[in-house]
Amino acid sequence: MPSERVLRTIAGVLALAGIGVATYITVVESGGGAPQCLAGGHGCETVASSSYSHLAGVNVAVFGIVGYVLLLLSALAAGDVARIAGLATALVGFGFSVYLTYLELFVIDAICQWCVASAVLMTLLLIVSALRAFGYAGAELMSGARAAHADEL
Amino acid sequence: MDRRRLGQIASGAAFLAVCAVAVLIVVSLAGGGSGGDTDLEDVAVVREQLRGIPQHGTVLGDPNAQVKVIEFADLQCPVCRNFSTQIAPDLIAQLVRPGTASYELRQWTVIGDPPHTQSAEAAMAALAASEQGRYWNYVELFYRNQGDEESGYVTDAFLTAIAKGAGVPDIGKWNRDRRSSKWDRILARSDSEAADLGFAGTPSFLVEGPGGKRTLAAPTLDDIEGAVRAVE
Repeated sequence: MPSERVLRTIAGVLALAGIGVATYITVVESGGGAPQCLAGGHGCETVASSSYSHLAGVNVAVFGIVGYVLLLLSALAAGDVARIAGLATALVGFGFSVYLTYLELFVIDAICQWCVASAVLMTLLLIVSALRAFGYAGAELMSGARAAHADEL
Repeated sequence: MDRRRLGQIASGAAFLAVCAVAVLIVVSLAGGGSGGDTDLEDVAVVREQLRGIPQHGTVLGDPNAQVKVIEFADLQCPVCRNFSTQIAPDLIAQLVRPGTASYELRQWTVIGDPPHTQSAEAAMAALAASEQGRYWNYVELFYRNQGDEESGYVTDAFLTAIAKGAGVPDIGKWNRDRRSSKWDRILARSDSEAADLGFAGTPSFLVEGPGGKRTLAAPTLDDIEGAVRAVE
């Protein structure tokens, strides 16, 4: 099991990468364009032009930025609240990424590499956040209890 | 905070996370695309046909092209549909995509008794899509899902499904735009232009270029190519 410090660092880096991807999609689309696919093709154009690219009138990528920023904050913060909030946010992000990937594959019939990149980042963030939460939640409690026990002795 | 309390909070957070995902999906399905486009024919075909070609309002292709091919058509018209599915793909690929000619489709409502309510509803829905750069996607997808003329299939639900399938980004704005009174003037102008040009039915074509004008009724691709060469 990696130390919590390592897990928080990995989560922070992944969240920063996610902010980069989501910001790129948002900026390009707000300029009226569509994200360029690195290997050519027009999957991003198709996905960006579909009616599913907006949620209540707001670009889905904006929700992505918010999610990644929350994950970055939870990686920077210590304690149980940060651990649980990080896991909950990653769960929301992962669940919505699964739904968006389903839309790309079976409804829109097009795959956008930038969306796939975000989905992969969110999956990794869920794994890291889960390791952190399940491995270290209550750590202060345990060490506190151990200290109290030592005092008694 | 003891371990038990921590477990309760974690469970609550996980439950909230699941609820949040459910809410996001519901909002996406309600506001973004209801999935209605999955029932439509040829969504991918239309997308592929128009991919990468610029759209300016009702004009497809380079708006500064020397030659302009202007079609006067009614979305309910089955002959227009046949033109759209059988001839327009080659016209777009051979003349519009390379920039030889631009292609405009003017809504000329002729089907049904005046005021041609169903055709006008369809025309205004397509024109509203032009406000978001999806006019041609709307027109082509409409034709590929056209019902029997005046059978009542042109409902709000049908028009909305076409809008979603055509990739109109903001359905709320499209819904407001299609109710705009400015389309009445545009439809009236098409009427008078068609009358001035002596058109008798849809689809009719005006081909304009530096070399003059040609008018055509329900032409073949050869007819249009000939007219384009003549006015170039």
